[in-house]
Amino acid sequence: MLQVLINGIVLGSVYALIALGLTMVFSIMRVVNFAHGQMYMLGAFVVYYLYGQFQLPFWLALPLAGLALAVVGVLFNRLFFQPVLASAKREENSMLMAVGTALLLENLALTLFGEKQRGVPPVVDGSFIFGDISEGGAILTYPNAMVAALSVTAIAALLLFVQYTRPGRALRAVAQDKEAARLQGVDVKSITTLGFAIGAALAGLAGGLLVTIYGVNSGIGSNISTKAFIMIMIGGAGVTSGAIVGGVLLGFAEAIGYDLLPGSLTYLLIFVAMIVFLVFKPNGLFGKPWG
Amino acid sequence: MTILAVLLLLPAVLGDSRYLFSVLMNCMGLSLIALGVWLTFTIGRTNICQAGFALIGGYATAIFLAHYHMNFWLALPLSALVAASAGAVIGSFILKLRGIYFSMLTISLTEAIRLAFLNGGDFTQGSRGITDLPQPFGDSVFGLYYLALALLGFGLLLTWRIHYSRVGRIFRAMRLNEDLAESFGTHVWRYRVIAFSVACGLGGLGGSYFAVFTQSIYPQSFSVEHSIYYMLFCFLGGLEFVSGGIVGAFVLTILFELLSQFQQYQTLIYGGLMIAVILLLPNGLMAMTLRRKEVRA
Amino acid sequence: MQKRSMIRAAVLAAVAPWFLLGSAHAEKILKIGVNGVMSGEAASWGLVNKYCAETTADMYNAKGGVDIGGQKYKIEVVALDDKNDPKVSVTNAEKLTSQGIKYIIGPNIDTTALAVKPVVERAHALNFPYAFAKELYKAPANASVLGMVASYQVGPIIYEYLKNKKGVKSIAFLARNESDAKNQQAEGVAAARKLGLKVVADSDSYEPGTKDFMPVMTKIIRDKPDHIVLSGVAPADAPLLNKAARDLGFKGSISTETGQDSKILAQVAGDKARGFISVGGASTPEIQSDYMKAFIAAYKKRVGEWNDEAGTKVYALELILAVLKQNPAAVNNTEAFKKTMATFSMSNPFVKGGKTRLEFTGKADFGRRSQVGVPLVVNEFTGKDFKTLFVGTIKN
Repeated sequence: MLQVLINGIVLGSVYALIALGLTMVFSIMRVVNFAHGQMYMLGAFVVYYLYGQFQLPFWLALPLAGLALAVVGVLFNRLFFQPVLASAKREENSMLMAVGTALLLENLALTLFGEKQRGVPPVVDGSFIFGDISEGGAILTYPNAMVAALSVTAIAALLLFVQYTRPGRALRAVAQDKEAARLQGVDVKSITTLGFAIGAALAGLAGGLLVTIYGVNSGIGSNISTKAFIMIMIGGAGVTSGAIVGGVLLGFAEAIGYDLLPGSLTYLLIFVAMIVFLVFKPNGLFGKPWG
Repeated sequence: MTILAVLLLLPAVLGDSRYLFSVLMNCMGLSLIALGVWLTFTIGRTNICQAGFALIGGYATAIFLAHYHMNFWLALPLSALVAASAGAVIGSFILKLRGIYFSMLTISLTEAIRLAFLNGGDFTQGSRGITDLPQPFGDSVFGLYYLALALLGFGLLLTWRIHYSRVGRIFRAMRLNEDLAESFGTHVWRYRVIAFSVACGLGGLGGSYFAVFTQSIYPQSFSVEHSIYYMLFCFLGGLEFVSGGIVGAFVLTILFELLSQFQQYQTLIYGGLMIAVILLLPNGLMAMTLRRKEVRA
Repeated sequence: MQKRSMIRAAVLAAVAPWFLLGSAHAEKILKIGVNGVMSGEAASWGLVNKYCAETTADMYNAKGGVDIGGQKYKIEVVALDDKNDPKVSVTNAEKLTSQGIKYIIGPNIDTTALAVKPVVERAHALNFPYAFAKELYKAPANASVLGMVASYQVGPIIYEYLKNKKGVKSIAFLARNESDAKNQQAEGVAAARKLGLKVVADSDSYEPGTKDFMPVMTKIIRDKPDHIVLSGVAPADAPLLNKAARDLGFKGSISTETGQDSKILAQVAGDKARGFISVGGASTPEIQSDYMKAFIAAYKKRVGEWNDEAGTKVYALELILAVLKQNPAAVNNTEAFKKTMATFSMSNPFVKGGKTRLEFTGKADFGRRSQVGVPLVVNEFTGKDFKTLFVGTIKN
């Protein structure tokens, strides 16, 4: 059982980081970023090239992955999303744009980085051993522990930033009410860009972190996106605490499910449970009603 | 309507190029499924579970044909009915969600339906799928072609009728303001379920058609990716027009075929072009015709 | 308003026909089709097929083409992405056959291969799928030739080796939850039981797209197998599965029945995949001929980087061309090809020494020769590279 707990904690902290980026973009722009998983994939490739191929220290490569994706986020926001949001008759068009960018990024990656699975040398090696697995013991590998710890650090840093800094407060204001924020003198356009950049950077960070244990290939994006959707729906779209709780819940559901049930039944039950849950609580655990 | 007429006569010109036939048959089947997505748009819901209902329709046909040796002409409408009933039951629960929540819930629903068939035991034959389905027209391509055309014609007519009837006006009122429509004494809930159920029925019909077209059905025959594509068809064609989904399906499918000579850059160019279209024509391809009419008037 | 929309329409209209332009050729051309998944998560399967065919074509074309019946043909590879979608695969097959293409390499999985079967049969073309479903190759089906060694052929050989040489007594199976992989699992379980091995897990599976294999592996390891068989795992999953098993303290051996890539294993799992047994084609240094080395060089030139998966996929086009050379009538007639196929035999150009024969096989499994007789090379991963464990042959 201890092993299930450990698996759940590691998965949960990583998932929370992924969900946080998606929910950030949603809260600011009301855009479900279908390309979130593809941004994760790009972040992973940045670390693969910088750390794995050019042998930069990991501690430098990881923030650079976040930075690179922040730049991608700014460009995407300015070039693609803001024009669409400004001119479309319906807000669903931004969803279409997100799907378009996802498709573009995935195929760009396939062309540039090839079809192969990639991996990087382990940053740390070894494991905490709590008895023999086949006898009911448990194991936590150093890489997994590192990834979980760094995820939690990144989440905490973001929460502090949003809570206590000036741009952070502006972000919250825009998320709550664009018009009111504008009246109070917030530059909504640049704050929106900032929000999108942070969302993309979080995806990049998550990708850069996880490439150290899972590796990466150019096709992993949509799977990550679907999981991130589940997480932010459980918690309530656009709510920070919701994303964290959603991520942790999904991590544990997966760890426990895979332990008790054969393969794909786990996700079937997760999906069914989520649909039933949302029917009774349409806005998730902490969400605000939103049309 | 013109499209349908052209499609009716096209075989005479095409002769026996089975490739062009199969592209067109793909377009028509996808259009039929996309019509359902379009219909859910008219009640203000972005439907990303249409692939799930296509899967239900496809499996229903496969099970009727393979396990019960039913006649295809009976299995086809029954499959649509199965999908429509499933849509009515599920819809009556999930349709109270709106906006992005509904869209994301339907993504999960597509996955849930796929996984349900994957875990269906001997009945659905799990990941092995049901294969070797009999084709109703034997070797002839014309039979299946005209079946697709007839189904598309039926689907378009049905959607058209609904859209321009009293029910259609209620749908539009609901899209603009659900609470207001309710306050005028409209049974919003009932109309929503009707619309969704018809939409799912169209998806099931399309799924059933594709099951005999490829003579097989697997859990991954229709997945989230397909659901998203059906939604894209409608967006790109234009949501203001009944034929929007059809135009989108034809344009995107044919475009993909045209790009095939670019080999590995095919999907890359496809993605780039799609973004270009969204930027240049944010309200869909059909909006071009609307603009011109507006100017003339 | 009108002007803007006109411009937009004009831009779209101007772009569209540009894509219709094809190129014209004057010399004799032999077109070979490749139909398979070349995008998305399983992209490597179809792309490697495509790259291999293109490399073979490059090598022949550099020498002025292939000589069939005194006539030089330039080889043109027409590759189409089916996205692993049976509907698209059917359209692709229609497209290829409507261009008069008689020989098509791919598709990669049961679902797509079974979907194109009627199309290929109707067009009297010949398909070389990399899918294992037996109904593709057994009579009455007559349009498909299996392009590689099937898992149910190599599985028993590996298990027997493990049982006799490594003292393995109990065995667990883990499959990717997909049609092909589940079939491989079922057949592997049956084969292992027949050999008298104790099967402690026979139906475990994981969802395609899984990245964290700790939970799945934890369950397997609790059953205490001596050996774990990974059925139908994608090259992307294999290193992660190995790593998870070793991280969890698994001491036994691990194997799979499909081709893998050493660089992927080395990058993602490194030492933790040491001892992993998989099936190779001809790319291990111990057995490759000079011709194979030239092939690898040409492949690198085209693609940029070698992929060991390609070792199992070099054979299809080479063998097709060899048969055409022997029987020029087969260029436009697959019946002639099938006739030659039954008795065809040549020395394997990819394996050094010239003693290994390359022929069509599969009689024992399909009742007739409907399989490319790829030599059955079983590899072991050393932590960096593959080393050949043994070379077997398929019962014919």
